[in-house]
Amino acid sequence: MSTDTSTETKTSRLEQTNPDYDPNIVIETQNLTKIYRDFWGRQKVRALNALDLEVKKGEIFGLLGPNGSGKSTTIKLLLGLLFPTSGRAMVFGENATEVTKNERIGYLPEESYLYKFLTAEETLDFYGRLFDMPSALRKERVQSLIQQVGLSHAKRRQLREYSKGMTRRIGLAQALINDPDLVLLDEPTSGLDPLGTREMKDMILKLRDDGKTVVMCSHLLGDVQDVCDRIAILYQGDLKELGRVDSLLQVSDETSIRAKNLPESAQDEIREIIKKHGGDVVGVENPKSTLEELFLQIVRESEQRPGQRASGSDS
Amino acid sequence: MILENFPTFSEWFLPGLVLFGGIVVAAILLGLFVGYVVASFSHGPFEAFYTVAQVVGEAVPDFLKTSPRRVFAMARLAIKEAFRRKVVVVAFIIFAILLLFGQWFMGGTENPEKRFMNTIMFGTQMLTLLTVMLISAFSLPEDIKNKTIYTIVTKPVRATEIILGRIVGFGFLGTILLALMGIISYFFVSRNLEHTHQIVGDTQTIASFTAIEPGTEISKTTGKRVSPNAVMEGVTNNALGHKHRLEVLEFSTDLADDPILEEPDVVSSEKQPDGTTKYQRLVCQPYGGHTHPITVSGTGTDAKITLGPAVGYFRARIPVYADNVRFLNSEGQPSAGGENVGKESSYRGFIDGGSSSKRSTLSRAIFSYSGFVESRFNNADVIPLEMTLGVFRTYKGDLQKRVIGGLQFESVPDNPEVENKYVSELVYFETNEYQLQVRPVSRKVIGRIVAPDGSLVEEGEYDLFDHFAANGKLELSLSCRDYNQYLGVARADFYFRATDDVYWFNYLKGYIGIWCQMMIIIAMAVAFSTFLGTPIVMLGVLLMMIVGFFTPFIRGLTDIDRDGGGPIESFIRIVTQKNMMVDMETGAFTTLITESDKFLSQRLSDLTYLAPNFKQLDFSEFLTYGYSIDNQRIVVALAITFAFCFGMTLLGYFSLKTREIAK
Repeated sequence: MSTDTSTETKTSRLEQTNPDYDPNIVIETQNLTKIYRDFWGRQKVRALNALDLEVKKGEIFGLLGPNGSGKSTTIKLLLGLLFPTSGRAMVFGENATEVTKNERIGYLPEESYLYKFLTAEETLDFYGRLFDMPSALRKERVQSLIQQVGLSHAKRRQLREYSKGMTRRIGLAQALINDPDLVLLDEPTSGLDPLGTREMKDMILKLRDDGKTVVMCSHLLGDVQDVCDRIAILYQGDLKELGRVDSLLQVSDETSIRAKNLPESAQDEIREIIKKHGGDVVGVENPKSTLEELFLQIVRESEQRPGQRASGSDS
Repeated sequence: MILENFPTFSEWFLPGLVLFGGIVVAAILLGLFVGYVVASFSHGPFEAFYTVAQVVGEAVPDFLKTSPRRVFAMARLAIKEAFRRKVVVVAFIIFAILLLFGQWFMGGTENPEKRFMNTIMFGTQMLTLLTVMLISAFSLPEDIKNKTIYTIVTKPVRATEIILGRIVGFGFLGTILLALMGIISYFFVSRNLEHTHQIVGDTQTIASFTAIEPGTEISKTTGKRVSPNAVMEGVTNNALGHKHRLEVLEFSTDLADDPILEEPDVVSSEKQPDGTTKYQRLVCQPYGGHTHPITVSGTGTDAKITLGPAVGYFRARIPVYADNVRFLNSEGQPSAGGENVGKESSYRGFIDGGSSSKRSTLSRAIFSYSGFVESRFNNADVIPLEMTLGVFRTYKGDLQKRVIGGLQFESVPDNPEVENKYVSELVYFETNEYQLQVRPVSRKVIGRIVAPDGSLVEEGEYDLFDHFAANGKLELSLSCRDYNQYLGVARADFYFRATDDVYWFNYLKGYIGIWCQMMIIIAMAVAFSTFLGTPIVMLGVLLMMIVGFFTPFIRGLTDIDRDGGGPIESFIRIVTQKNMMVDMETGAFTTLITESDKFLSQRLSDLTYLAPNFKQLDFSEFLTYGYSIDNQRIVVALAITFAFCFGMTLLGYFSLKTREIAK
């Protein structure tokens, strides 16, 4: 992604005034708790319980958990859409309820809550105006984002005519209108077809490559696994696991060997060697591609050779 | 319509500011208290203090850092939303229906302009207010319900910008709506008022007569007596629900080639032996505020009278009222409110016309003017005097028969003991009850100069401004000249008409009143919608509208001097079954009740100021009755509107700021 405004110039008040502020910590929550209450103040549900988190600059951080685990609540607390019952949430060293922090944030809600009576161009122009962007810069940015999310052909259609995938894309474009340093994505791949999902994931990775910090929440494990550097797993409001994806998924008491063009006899030999060293053979088999990879291969081949059955289906 | 004295902006501003400041301070204190109590429940008393302080502390920078660009962005969105949801189109369709079918019910009245303007203004007002109320009440709750607000509040948008953006956006939209309705209404009314009349019966003969004795009746359709000033009279046919009386009036001029003799309505002219020229003009008497120019062509039996289009509609009259009016009884002694003719005397004072047994009466209503200078009347030679009088008849007879009155000017010397006084001759006129009479008063007045001792000094023709009102002061006395009948008059019934205001400007001022009401409705709906759902917002705004339109009545209910006392005293009277007119026993208990009632009534009265007084912002009656709207009223209305919008913005801001959007 092209950066129109220098990230160095966008610094929060605390960064300027507070010498203790660590610019490498983008998000910090301390003992963050959210309890939903009814009209009479009685506790209905404890949505988040004493969450301590740190998200570092330039990483893709995933919030993982089943429905109702507190992922969206965490994002909403970080955005100031909800107020914490106790504890605190800091973004760029500022309280999450501060309006000024939003200048450096992009947010894609769970469903793209956009004004259906606006066209794609008008939508992005409107959000650009909310950032006080000068007219020339705004126009240029609107066109480049529309192109980037592949909606050039539909930029003058009202959003009410958009498919879910198109709405998702324009939703992402609005989240990036201000070239944010921190992008918060709530279920970014929900409602997207596999192709759209892959494009979204590629875009998330590209954001990180551009130096942005990305926080996403999802219950689709594959998506999280594919793009996140670090994840936090929440369950019923409690933090259950936190760490790097590769180290979390590593099974330390198993060893896997992958080889290509290995004959049947060599596989028997390997089995013997494992037995000789006292190991248990869990399984020796040809590895399977993921369904997502297979589907994408088929689509790619179909585009290259229209009308023919894709060879990928034989593999 | 009664035009009350209106304070100037500078007179109004300071008490208004004190009242507004008081309400704002009280509302802030109440808000702080409620906020603290609510926050205490969720955060505990110490944390709550910090939370409230934080919200208050952030308010000042939030207001100061409000970005106009973001406000306009939000306003543009609000306008697009209303347009694309076709709310404005629906409003215009209803307006078109009102115009299409409304005119069926607007004819057949004494004053069609009044009824047209009344209906159109009321229709425009209600349609505009309800339309803006709907779009304002739906907007924010819809955003919150559809969660589109998530994408707004996660941008660097302050609560002030969300509130102001909507107020500005819907305000702009309403302004366009109102402007279009205003322009269409103007053309609609003016087109519907276009009419002329034909003369009927033997009225045609007026033109062929050259000299007829005064008082001759020539038309059987016009009643039994000819106007005392008219040589003869006739009548037109009925058009737009009314007809006009035509009068031939006699004048004379010293100039042999006076251009007035060439006027198309001159019926005849005759040179007199003394060198003057006597001429007769055919005048169409005004009806419902308008008249028609008359053209007399041909002479003798070939003479033809034609009436032109209506003249006098769309006026913006500037009345010059008397400073005060005083009454004299039939003996010429001062009387507080004129003769008492019963309940009707409460507003108007009545003067009697003597009786057949006692023919002379000194009963008068005397209007005193100050600042009566010619510049107020654009140095005109003829000044219109307009009056709408009450008539109390002690015998009925022919109710169509008009009652005769007399007018007389007197100068008011600064030092009456040494200075002479100018007194005009008595001028007669006729009137029916509550019928607007327009009497052109020539500045050349025939009269006499009277010495302080009452002796006659001189008789002749004098100038109304240079002689009578040389010191700016003038008295005009009204008398009743019909036996056994009474004329009733109040200060506001009797005025000279200064140079009219420009009509389109006055029309615009009338719509500014509706605009002010509209802005208050928008601000209220937007502010309420930050914490209430759409149906409740609409109910709340409707309630405020009703209170607003009946503010004087509701405020009157809190008056401690009403029969039966204040709320506590009234309650005690009900419980003890004590009559409203019976005094309470004096004593400490009664004093306590009275003082408590005073305090309570004052607080209740204060509460009524929370609702806008729409009567104060409603200028439609000025347009309906054709009066100029004082600029002071407009400035005050704009100041009230600004104060309400500011107050509502504050309310909306704190409500949105302390609200969890995603809850």
